[in-house]
Amino acid sequence: MLTRRRLMGTAGAAAAMTGAVALGVRPARAQSRPFTFVSWGGALSATEKEAFMDPASKKLGFEIANTSPTTYAKLKAMVEAKAVEWDLVDVGGRFIFQGRDQGLLEEIDYKIVDASKLDKGWVKPYGIFTSIGATVIAWNTKAFAGAAPQSWKDFWDVKAFPGARGLYNLLYYNYEAALLAAGLKRSEVYPATDEKVKQVIAKCQELKPHVKVWWTAGAQPPQLLSSGELAMSSAWSGRILDAKKESTAVDMTYKDGVAWGNGYVVPKGTPYKEKAMQLINYCLSEEAQLRLLPVGTYGPVLSSAAAKASPTQARNLVMHPDNIKDMLILDEEQAALYSAKYEEAWKKFQLG
Amino acid sequence: MPVTTTMRRHTATALLLLPALLFLALSFVAPMLILFKLSVTAKEGPLWAYGEILGNAVYLRVFWNTLVVAVAVTAISVIAAYPTAYMLTLLKGWALTLAVYGVLFPLWISVLIRTFSWILLLEKNGPVNRALVASGVVDGPVQFLFNNTGVLIGMIHVLLPYAILPIYANMLRVDGRLMLASDGLAASPWMTFRRVYLPLTMPGVGAGAVFVFLLSLGFFITPALLGGISNLTVAMLIELLVNERLIWSLAAAASFLLLAAIAALLAVAARFVPLGTALEAR
Repeated sequence: MLTRRRLMGTAGAAAAMTGAVALGVRPARAQSRPFTFVSWGGALSATEKEAFMDPASKKLGFEIANTSPTTYAKLKAMVEAKAVEWDLVDVGGRFIFQGRDQGLLEEIDYKIVDASKLDKGWVKPYGIFTSIGATVIAWNTKAFAGAAPQSWKDFWDVKAFPGARGLYNLLYYNYEAALLAAGLKRSEVYPATDEKVKQVIAKCQELKPHVKVWWTAGAQPPQLLSSGELAMSSAWSGRILDAKKESTAVDMTYKDGVAWGNGYVVPKGTPYKEKAMQLINYCLSEEAQLRLLPVGTYGPVLSSAAAKASPTQARNLVMHPDNIKDMLILDEEQAALYSAKYEEAWKKFQLG
Repeated sequence: MPVTTTMRRHTATALLLLPALLFLALSFVAPMLILFKLSVTAKEGPLWAYGEILGNAVYLRVFWNTLVVAVAVTAISVIAAYPTAYMLTLLKGWALTLAVYGVLFPLWISVLIRTFSWILLLEKNGPVNRALVASGVVDGPVQFLFNNTGVLIGMIHVLLPYAILPIYANMLRVDGRLMLASDGLAASPWMTFRRVYLPLTMPGVGAGAVFVFLLSLGFFITPALLGGISNLTVAMLIELLVNERLIWSLAAAASFLLLAAIAALLAVAARFVPLGTALEAR
């Protein structure tokens, strides 16, 4: 029977407990928790678990907890509070530089991580890319009567390709897309300058009346394109490739795409720094990279693994020679710079 | 009253309040102080973050947008809630149960899921537009999404129960004999409503309006997914500053400016609506 005294006792205990939590009593000591890998969730996390983490756990002999989603703010808070609970984190490439500048990351130990077989562009002092995707032009297959856009110039051409557009919410990706649409060569896109950002905004101003959605979540473009709400949108290649497995209503091209990688960083102060380095090293091994091929969304960063793709698999790989030759590789350091410097100007343009 | 009894009563009150006060102090007041410290300790100077926001037309525009949306949502919610709450007071038995569940049920579903459901319902080729076009009411699909309409529909759907419930609770306490008396004194139904029923239910309206207004100022997911770019709200801006740009002093300053704006608005509102009695449990 619930007596009054018992009720009060329970209430007191509850108050004490919430007090303890609020005071920041850590639920467990760092060493007693498993090694923790964090990624964005959805198909990407599933792929990483299957291709990298589960086999690595067997091979390296330690338990790996997989969790999501990546939140930069949480990472920053953990590092600054010296209570790091994440040991390896999948981030957008920009964060490798943003995190470096804010002192949130451990340096990658290239004595443990063997990056000698990777293209130099994917290897950075404070982070390394382990799989490759791209921001591409995607469209609803019924929108243009079979015609397929081939470039950002086509994306901007609302006469040849009429219909509502979708673009990413931030300056990120739009900087590259708009400059390519304006006719700059791929080699001229960087470095970011005041003039180029002005040019980006002018170019986007042109398209703005047709931009119905400034998307924020990767799930938006495939959904809005397949329902016909949008005719054409920029999108993350992995999301579109994933959607194409289930629906014929969307298609994409790698032509003029902006290639980028999923970056791995190690938060500063993790008790498992060495394990994190060993794990990164395993993710870059050919054995691990080859497992990305059958999944067919985000592809290997290791070219020797990409070269072993079947002809059907190869079509979906950013790093396949036929694809990458028509693409721009996103300079994440420049992106970190223009995002810090011009995001307010970009918001002003969007609201104006 | 003897002093000892009064004192014992006060001690009892203090003890009963203690757990809640402790909880609030630790989980609300302390973080607020930390947040405030964050807003005035930017390396550019103590008032830099506030100056940055107040001196920037973009941020001010976002604050203005947020207030306009919140006022519109509050007004429509209260107007829609009032007759609904009145209907609830007339129902009895299973009809009342059903209606109350109808009001409460949406609160049990995640806002994210409800927002995505609205996208599916309201999109260009969605069921609502297909029905409208098929019935000949409109010539082409109506643009419900990615503008103010989408934001209003989504937010009002989430917030309506917060307006209905306090108004309903208030209406239940109104003594029906007062209406009979008014009628007996030859007042028209409109006069009875205006002079008797409405003033008696105003505290409930005030409470509902305050709930809806405060909650709508913090909305994030719904305007982000159903709105267009011009529906950028302060909450979205703070999220951007916290998560993408990692400038926490600016985010903290934006939070405190929003808090200050809310406090000022409530102070003004308190002059017209009896908020004190509205929020009192009677």
